[in-house]
Amino acid sequence: MSMKGHSKSIQSRAGPSELQGEKTDAVPTANWRSWFQWDIEHGEWDIFVFATVLKLLLFPSYRSTDFEVHRNWLAITHSLPISKWYYDTTSEWTLDYPPFFAYFEKLLSVPAFLLDSKIVDLHNLKYESWSVIAYQRTTVIVSELVLVLALHRFIRDSVDPSTQRIISASIFLHPGFLIVDHIHFQYNGFLFGILLWSILMARNGNKLASGTLFAVLLNFKHIYMYLAPAYFIYLLRSYCMTPSGQVQVRNFLSLANMVIAVFLASLGPFALMGQLPQLFSRLFPFTRGLNHAYWAPNAWALVTAVDRVLLRYVQYRDLNVSVNTAGVASTSRGLVGDTVFAILPNVQPIHTFTATLASQSICLFKLWKTPTYKSFLTAITLCGYSSFLFGWHVHEKAVLLVLVPLSLLAAERQVYFRTFIIASVAGVYSLFPLLYTPAESFVKVIYSILWVTYVYVPLSKRIYEFPTTPATVALDIAEKLYLAGFPLLLLFVNAYTLWVKRRMINTEESGTDTMEFLPLMATSVYCAIGLVWGYVRLTYIYLHEDTYQGQLSEIG
Amino acid sequence: MHKRGLRDWVLPGALLTSTLIKCCIGLGSYSGKGTPPMYGDYEAQRHWMELTLHLPVREWYWYDLQYWGLDYPPLTGYVSWLCGVVGSWIEPSWFALDKSRGIETEGSKVFLRSTVLILDALIYVSALVVFANIWQAMRSKRTQNLALLTLLFQPALLLIDFGHFQYNSVMLGEENLGLTLHALNLFAMGHDLWGAVFFAFSLCFKQMALYYAPAIGTYLLAKCLYLGRPEGQVINWERLFVRLAIVTVFTFFLLFLPFLPPFAPLSGIGQAIRRIFPFARGLFEDKVSNFWCATNVVIKWKFWISRALLVKLSTLLTLLGSMPCVVILLSTARRMQFARQTAQESADMTAQPPFLALLPYALLTSSLSFFLFSFQVHEKTILLPLLPVTLLLSGAPIDSTAYTWGALVNNVAVFSMWPLLKKDGLGLQYTATLVLWNRLIGYNPFTWPPKSFTHIFSLAVYFAAISIHLLEMTVTPPQRYPDIFTVLNVLVCTPVFVLAWLWSVKSSLKVAWSLGGVSRKPENQKKGAEEERPSAEIRRRVWESGELAEDGETS
Repeated sequence: MSMKGHSKSIQSRAGPSELQGEKTDAVPTANWRSWFQWDIEHGEWDIFVFATVLKLLLFPSYRSTDFEVHRNWLAITHSLPISKWYYDTTSEWTLDYPPFFAYFEKLLSVPAFLLDSKIVDLHNLKYESWSVIAYQRTTVIVSELVLVLALHRFIRDSVDPSTQRIISASIFLHPGFLIVDHIHFQYNGFLFGILLWSILMARNGNKLASGTLFAVLLNFKHIYMYLAPAYFIYLLRSYCMTPSGQVQVRNFLSLANMVIAVFLASLGPFALMGQLPQLFSRLFPFTRGLNHAYWAPNAWALVTAVDRVLLRYVQYRDLNVSVNTAGVASTSRGLVGDTVFAILPNVQPIHTFTATLASQSICLFKLWKTPTYKSFLTAITLCGYSSFLFGWHVHEKAVLLVLVPLSLLAAERQVYFRTFIIASVAGVYSLFPLLYTPAESFVKVIYSILWVTYVYVPLSKRIYEFPTTPATVALDIAEKLYLAGFPLLLLFVNAYTLWVKRRMINTEESGTDTMEFLPLMATSVYCAIGLVWGYVRLTYIYLHEDTYQGQLSEIG
Repeated sequence: MHKRGLRDWVLPGALLTSTLIKCCIGLGSYSGKGTPPMYGDYEAQRHWMELTLHLPVREWYWYDLQYWGLDYPPLTGYVSWLCGVVGSWIEPSWFALDKSRGIETEGSKVFLRSTVLILDALIYVSALVVFANIWQAMRSKRTQNLALLTLLFQPALLLIDFGHFQYNSVMLGEENLGLTLHALNLFAMGHDLWGAVFFAFSLCFKQMALYYAPAIGTYLLAKCLYLGRPEGQVINWERLFVRLAIVTVFTFFLLFLPFLPPFAPLSGIGQAIRRIFPFARGLFEDKVSNFWCATNVVIKWKFWISRALLVKLSTLLTLLGSMPCVVILLSTARRMQFARQTAQESADMTAQPPFLALLPYALLTSSLSFFLFSFQVHEKTILLPLLPVTLLLSGAPIDSTAYTWGALVNNVAVFSMWPLLKKDGLGLQYTATLVLWNRLIGYNPFTWPPKSFTHIFSLAVYFAAISIHLLEMTVTPPQRYPDIFTVLNVLVCTPVFVLAWLWSVKSSLKVAWSLGGVSRKPENQKKGAEEERPSAEIRRRVWESGELAEDGETS
């Protein structure tokens, strides 16, 4: 990164916020040339080549059902007219992403058809030839370029390019993407790429583009609604209003028009066909249980664990407490989709909804008062975090919604960095159960260790601050102990699984007697502790933000 | 990486990353996957674990020879037995006698892959780390790390070991190289006896280590010569020679002991040797980029000459081909001994001799000669010449001929194994590892404009290789010549290997010449004889002078 770009960025950012209405018009024309100047450094190429080679080598690895899901969507969008997309039930993996993603699949289905027409055959279920594997895996790698370019842009105009380079590399190489996208199979790299472009636009002061891109993203995958409250407040406060609180009608209208246009492009065709109710019923199936098959490491996992422990205690002491029998059955299996508590009162969707909103409102209130970029970034993270911790039927993969924006804050100060490390280690570890096959287990563990090392060492050298008070020293030690527990947890999980397997061979016991679910439960609970703690930490830091001024605070 | 304070993390990072890449390659296909009834080399290796586990040692070389009978030396058998013991403790069905044939469960695959990984880490990787520290002792930490990376990610070895899974050239070939490398490290540290033991181990692991035997044998002999018989001292060279002989013979004896009377009938050892050296097979296996196969396009050797004569002819050519390294090593040692005697110096038996720098070149000359001319060569055997090539490359500056040749021979070697890798379904891994390694060593095959002859030659070779790949993708071979692309492959690769052999001889001569130059200066020699550090200094000088001489000629 040259110094020239650096100083230019400072200048462009130093502009008073009143001028931003004009600036949004000026940016595209003045900077269009810079879009074609990438000046990628040697080391950046190295990282890119290494990552791509690794992803190529992962082609033959384990694939989850998501692979077949996406193949089926290719087939649906290619062989059916648009009016039938959200009605088709040939496969059990029906289309349940918003229309932009369907259009995206339609786009991908054209080369797929040319490559091997069997890929897009609607009735060719569970097609697993080399052509479809290579093609779909390649589309993940190629579409991830959106993320790569966004991350590269982040370096260009950042306050501290060399630190930002590490952060950008850490996001690009995030084990979450490797596990979820390149092994398990999804398109998160592409989608987070759009999110990062949107955040980048916010950083560069182009809030209209930021809002529009976020609207686009919502129409690709609706899970990003987790972050929507922060976007709403931020854009409303800092773009549609002046700092003194007056409404800027022109800005408001242009943003509203853009968002409406995006939604029209996405939902319009289906609205015209009168399919919106069907579409929404696909997008929001409210028939699932509180926890996913494997408990995502969130607050409900802790509550569930407490319930299980209480039940054991009640059974052991033979106490006279009303026990929900359905809950007992649920408990003994340990791993069911629909969680029913035995002792504690059951959790309804409305409870989770209230808890999410209540926890989000804390950070939203703060964001309203200080609508700066850094504050916005923290608020996005916290919004995603609240939804992840308290949401209904949260998937463990949703932890990426927390980890990716949090990474952008990692090098702010030691407090942020520590939060980032705890949440990342716990979050990445919580993704491990997604890959249960032994061969991939080596890959996920080794890769994650490498990633943590190469993110931790250079960043901690830059921003390490000694703990000063006895309380922070104690906290520091406790957190280190918690992190040191992960290798032990890994050891325990593997040893226990092996033990159960041998015991089931020898004594022909069933999985229930040997508590087969214990490793998963331990993983979920241990990770949940770290993630909840990370949330508490980040909320505290956010509310006392003035104390923790870092480089991002320079951005207005 | 260095400037970001990551210096201490480069080595563990490199080791971990290479492990990761190996695991990832291992996710792919392997030799003979899902192809009953014989399967492939993967099954052969698993079968050996099965048979060594269940049979007494004396029956190892006799059991059901038609189905992958054991045909490697005893150490292979012992290691297979160990793997079998561990594996059947985890899951007995993986190695049940006869019943486990062709077993391809998820667990058994992971187990076999991890045995390669563990043996590789214990023997080969450890040897590499020691090598980078000892042989590049005078270079910067950065050069040492780069050397290690070059060796760790060498694509041919990664593909054969962790992709193809031919334990006989994978775990064994692998370990074989590892053991040889340990031997080299020990020579460099001056522990000749231990070096000899390791090399004997290596030979007992896989007979292919014979490829190195002329070079190593001559090196040890040269060291004896070099020590000479200084006046008024204990007779040095005889003592070393006798010790070496005793140690080597004893090691062999120990390893073959279970096949000798009274543990087994005398015919046991005969059977073992017949199995290990299969002269009853053809001149070459499949298509291999050596002299015989390449010339076979024009001269149909099998119709012209009887097998017995071919055996003799190939042996003769092989010996002739490895002659230069013998002659150069011995004459250099002799000359230096004279120089030292005239300078009235004594030599320390445990110090490394100044002509150690010749050893990698000698290994290259002899192993290439075996690859090009000997009887019954497999395409995977190119791994043996690749070890010294890559060792030389690992320490070479980016503009030296050692670098250009090292990169070229490595790339071409991988290309020469393409037909095999394609059959195994490892095309993706082939591309990925090649890209990774070339990027890692900072090699751009298509630098333009070319600066030297080697450069132009490399460009031509790469152009030919890529053309063959493109043709193979687009054109179906004519019915008359179904193997046309394989033959073309052989015709492209063989000249490269022949020229590499010539280059190795030329380079040895240059290094020998520059050593002579050093030895005529007594003040330098005095330093060299004192202790470990100054002799490393001399080696560095030799290295540089060799490079300078080469650069002077090429530029």
